[in-house]
Amino acid sequence: MRRWIFIWFAVVLAGCSEPQQESGFAGLASIADNESGVPFLQPGAGERLSFPEDYGPHPQHRIEWWYLTANLKTEDGEPLGLQWTQFRQAIEPRPADAEPPDANNWPLEAAWMAHAAVSFDTRHYFAEKLARGDVGHAGARAEPIAVWLDDWQLEAESGQSSWRLQVAADGWSYDLTLRITGKPVAHGDQGFSAKSADGEGSMYFSLVDLQIDGRVTLGDQTLEVSGKGWFDREWSSQFLKSGQQGWDWFALHLDSGDKLMAFQLREEDGGFRAGTWIPADGEPIALGADQLNLTSLTQGDGYPRAWRLEVPDFGLNLEVAAPVGDYRNTGLYPYWESPVSVSGSHDGVGYMELTGYGE
Amino acid sequence: MTLPAALFSHYRRHPLQLLALAAMIVLATMLWTGVHHLTSQARASLDQSESAVAERQQVARTDGSPVTVDDFVELRRAGLCVMPWLEVSEPEGGRVVGVDPLAAGCFQAPGGQESPWDGELDGRPFVDISEAAELAREQGSELSLLVSDDHSKADLPPGYQLVPFSVGPATGELGDSFLLNLDALGVLVLLITALLVRSVYLLGLAQRRDSFALLYRFGVPRGRVNRLLVVEILLLAAVCVLPGIWLGRWLAAGLGSGFGQALEGLFDQPLYAGQGGSWLVPLVTMMAVILVACLADFLRPIFRGLVGGNRRYGGVVLLVLVAGLALTVWVTDLLWLFIAVAMVFVAAGILAPRLIASLADWRSGHDRDLQARWRHRELAVLARRLALPLVALQFAMAMVLAVQALVTTFESTFDRWLAQRLEADYYVEVPESADAALALDWLAEQPGLSASGLWHRVIRGRATLPGGEDEEETRVDVFAIGPVGPLVTGWELFESAPQPWQRLQQGQGVMVNEQLARRQDIAVGQTLTVLFGSQSFELPVLAIYPDYGRPAGEILIHPSVLPAEFETGFQSLSVSPGNLSIEAVTDGLKGVWQVEALTVRDNRAIEELASAIFDQTFLLTRAMTTLTLILAAIALLMMGWVFFSTRAWYFRLLVVWGLSRRQASVQLVRLSVSLTGAIALLALPLGVWLTWVLVHRINPIAFGWSLPMAVYPGFWLELGVLSMLIGLSIAFLMSRQLKSPTVAPVNANALAGGER
Repeated sequence: MRRWIFIWFAVVLAGCSEPQQESGFAGLASIADNESGVPFLQPGAGERLSFPEDYGPHPQHRIEWWYLTANLKTEDGEPLGLQWTQFRQAIEPRPADAEPPDANNWPLEAAWMAHAAVSFDTRHYFAEKLARGDVGHAGARAEPIAVWLDDWQLEAESGQSSWRLQVAADGWSYDLTLRITGKPVAHGDQGFSAKSADGEGSMYFSLVDLQIDGRVTLGDQTLEVSGKGWFDREWSSQFLKSGQQGWDWFALHLDSGDKLMAFQLREEDGGFRAGTWIPADGEPIALGADQLNLTSLTQGDGYPRAWRLEVPDFGLNLEVAAPVGDYRNTGLYPYWESPVSVSGSHDGVGYMELTGYGE
Repeated sequence: MTLPAALFSHYRRHPLQLLALAAMIVLATMLWTGVHHLTSQARASLDQSESAVAERQQVARTDGSPVTVDDFVELRRAGLCVMPWLEVSEPEGGRVVGVDPLAAGCFQAPGGQESPWDGELDGRPFVDISEAAELAREQGSELSLLVSDDHSKADLPPGYQLVPFSVGPATGELGDSFLLNLDALGVLVLLITALLVRSVYLLGLAQRRDSFALLYRFGVPRGRVNRLLVVEILLLAAVCVLPGIWLGRWLAAGLGSGFGQALEGLFDQPLYAGQGGSWLVPLVTMMAVILVACLADFLRPIFRGLVGGNRRYGGVVLLVLVAGLALTVWVTDLLWLFIAVAMVFVAAGILAPRLIASLADWRSGHDRDLQARWRHRELAVLARRLALPLVALQFAMAMVLAVQALVTTFESTFDRWLAQRLEADYYVEVPESADAALALDWLAEQPGLSASGLWHRVIRGRATLPGGEDEEETRVDVFAIGPVGPLVTGWELFESAPQPWQRLQQGQGVMVNEQLARRQDIAVGQTLTVLFGSQSFELPVLAIYPDYGRPAGEILIHPSVLPAEFETGFQSLSVSPGNLSIEAVTDGLKGVWQVEALTVRDNRAIEELASAIFDQTFLLTRAMTTLTLILAAIALLMMGWVFFSTRAWYFRLLVVWGLSRRQASVQLVRLSVSLTGAIALLALPLGVWLTWVLVHRINPIAFGWSLPMAVYPGFWLELGVLSMLIGLSIAFLMSRQLKSPTVAPVNANALAGGER
C-alpha cells in the first residue's frame, strides 16, 4: 500500500509519466503542461506579489507550499528545532476565480501533503499526512489565513498579526502562537525567484521575523518553548529545470539581526545559486550566483551536515552545521530538514534543507 | 580413455536413455516448481481475500442518517483516522468499492492496522473513490466511513457512534487452517517429487549395470564409480533444473490464468503473476532433493543393517505403519501428528509395491491358465522394479483425493459459514435511539412478511461464565435471537437435546459454539451458569453449533431470557422480505422509528462478493492438485514405457510361444492396467485416511475445531478411469514396439535384479 501511494504520489507530483530522474526531486522538474484546456500558469520575471491573496492557494499553479521552520529554546535554554509544511499539488489546473468541484464527487484535482517535525536533544520526530483536495478536510485560505489538513492547522488568531499552529502526531504534538513582525520579504526579482538560468522559477516570499512561543509535547514530556521562526510561501508550476537533482537551502538568523536565505540547485555540471540578504535595517537585497559561495565541508556520500557559506560583498564567511543526530524526514520523499548553528564571521541559528541525495 | 569418459560413454551409445533421464528431472522440477508457485499464489490470494473481508469498525450517525462527505470532513478535522468506502453497484452487475488511498495513509501509521484493502487500485473491485462516485451518479451507492481500530467511542464527536463493518464475516481461523493444510500438501508434493527423481536415478543405474560390471572388472573401486555417479547426476540436475523451473512457472501461470478466465476474475487482473517469485527457492530445493535422492542409495545399506534381513525389514515397516496409524489417533501435538503421517506414508510407500508383488506371485502360483500365470508373474516383477514411480503415483493419487475432499469440504464449509453468518437477505441496524420492540410489533403485523418473508431480531452483547475455584471467568459474546425461525433452525448442530430450537424459543436453555464447548468442556444437557451483569442464570445447554473457526466464545439465547439490566452492544433485524421489497420494509421501519434513514446491509451482495473473493483461492488449489496428478501420471507413463521397453524381448516371447500379435497386445493391456489399477486401489485408502487426518486431526489439534468430513466416490471413479488410461497408454506404446522387428534381446543383467 505504502509503495502504491508513493508511486501514485510520484505520478501525481510529476503530473505526467516521464521517468523520475527526468522530473527531478519529487517530480518538481516536470513540464508545466496538461491535456485539459486550462493551462498551468508558470511564474516569470515581472510577475508581482499580491497581498493578502498570495497567502491563499493558487489553483492554477501546479505546486505550492506553506513552510515554517523555527529555532526555539526550552525554559532550560535547550535548543529545539521545529518544522511544519503543507504542500498542495494540483493534478488539474483551475482558474483562481473558478468554482471548486463538488465535494460529493470526491474530486481528484489536487492533493495535499503536510509534514511536521521536531528536533530536540539529538532526536528527530517526523510525521506526514496526505489528503485529496476540494473535499474539505485539507485546504487553505488567504484571509484570514488558514491552512489545514485534518486536525493540523495554521490559523489567524487575532487579525493577521498573530497565528496559531497546532499539530498532533502519534506520541508528540505542538501548539504554538506565531507573532508576525515585519513585512513580507520578496525574494529574487520582486518575488520571482529564478531557479535556473533558463527562466524556471517560482514566486517566493518569506516572513523572516516570527516571534514564537507555545508548548511542545514529546511523549510524557511537555516543554514550554519560545524563539524565532521563518515562514516561506512559494508556488510554481515547474520549479526545477530538467537535470537538476535537488537543492540545498538555508535560512539563517544571525545574532547581528541580519538574515540570510541562500540556496543552490545541483546539476551534473555545477548548478544554480541564489539568495537574499536581509539586513537588520534596510531593504532586502537579492544575491546572484556570483555573490554566493556554498561549499560542503562533509566528506563522503549522504547528506552533507556542514557547509561553508560565503557572501564576500557583505563580509559573510559562515560555517553552518547541523547538530548531532539524524534529521531526515522519512516520508514519501525523504529529505533532510535540520536546525543549524552558525559560526565564523557571524554567529547565529537557522534551518537547512537538503534534498535529492539519492534516497 | 579416462574413467569419467568411460563412465559417461554409456549415454553416447544410448542417447535416448540420457534424454529420458533429463526429461524426468525436468518433469519432477516442473511439478514441484509449479505446485510451489501455485501454493504461494493461493496463500497470497487468501491473504488478500482475508484482508478485504476482515471485520473493522465504521462511524455512523446516531440519528440514523447516512454518512456524507461532510461527516468525513468533520471526523478528519477532529483528528480521527477515517477513510471513505463507497460501494457502488455496476450496471452490468457486481459492485465496486471506491476508496481514497490518501485518506487511508493513517491506517498504516506505526501501531496502526492494515489498510482495508491491499494491492494496487488498478482494477475491480477497488477503484479510486472519484471513479466510484462517478458511477454512483447513475447507480445505487452506499458510503461508509471506516475508522482505525485505535479509536474508541470516546474519541468521536457528539452525534456519531462506532458500529461494526465488514465486507463479509471475518474468516478467523478458517483461513489459517486452509493455509496449514496447503503447507502440509506442499511437503507431500516434495516427497512425490523426490520419489520421481529417485526412480529416475535407480532406473539409470539399472540400465548401466553392464558398464559398471566392466569397470569393476578393470579394477575401478565401487566407491569411485559411485562418487562419479553423484557428480554426474548433480551435473545433469544443474542443467535440467533451470528449464524445469521455467516450465513449472509457465505451466502454473497457464493453469492460473486459465482458471482465472473461467472465473471472469473478480479483480479483473490475471490471477497468476507468472513473473513474480524467486528462482532460488525451487533451485536450491530441487538440487537438495536430487542430492538426497542420490545419497539415499548410500544410506539404505546402513538402514538395512540396523533392521536386519529382508523379512525382518518387512516386519519393521509393518510395525511403523501400525505405529503411525495409532499415533495419528492418539497424539495431541501437531509435530507428532506430522511425524505420524510421515511414518504412515513411508510404510505405505514401501509396502504397496510389495503387496502387489506378493499378491501377484500368490495368484501366479494358483493360476491354471498359463497366460494368467505369466501375467501375474510379470506383474510381480513390474511391481518390484517400478516400485518408486508406482509409489509416486500412489502418493499423488492419495494427495489429489485428499485435496479434492479438503477443498470441497472447505468450500461447502465456507458456504455454510457464510450462510450461518448471513442467514437473512438483509440486516437492518436498529438506530441507537430507536425502540426495537416497536419494530417487532410492526413486522409481526405485516401480512406480506408473514406469508412469504422471514425475520428475527438480534441483540448482541457480552456475558460472563464464572470460573471454578482455580479457573478464571470467561467473557463470551451473547447473541439473543427471536423469534426463532427457519433463518436459524437450518443450522447444522454438532450435538443437541431433543427439540433444541423450540426450547430455545421458549427461553428454556442456551446454545453454545464449538470453540466454547471445547475450551470449557461443555456438553449438551449440562447446566451453564451465565452472568448478565450481576444477575446469574442457570441455563441447560440445548445444543453445540459449529462456528467454523470463530475464536471467540459465543452463546445463543432467546431475548426473553435477557434481564432488564443487560447492556445491549448492538441490535439489528435480520430480514428476508420474501414477496415484499426491502424498501417497503425499511420505509415502514423508518415510519415506526421516526428516522429519515436506516443502515441496511445487503447480505446477498456481501455473500456474492465474499464467495467470489474466496473462489479464487479454491480454484488455485484445484489447479495445484491437477498439476500434481498430470505430472505424476506422465512420469509413470514415461517410466513405465522405458521399463517395459527393457522387457520388450520377453513380451515378444508371447508371439514366439504362438500367441497372435493381437492376443499378445491384450495380455500387455491386462498387465499394465492391472498394475496401474492396483496402485489406484491402494491409493484410495491412503487418500481417504489423509483426508481424515487433515480435517479431523490437524484442524482440531491446530485450531480446536473440526471440519465435517465427506467422501466423494464420484471422484474416486474419475481417478480410477485415469489410472486405466495410463495403463492403456503404456500398453499401446508397447504394442507398437512389439510390431518393430528390431527389438534386440536384452541381457538379464541389464535389468534391475536380473529377474526373468
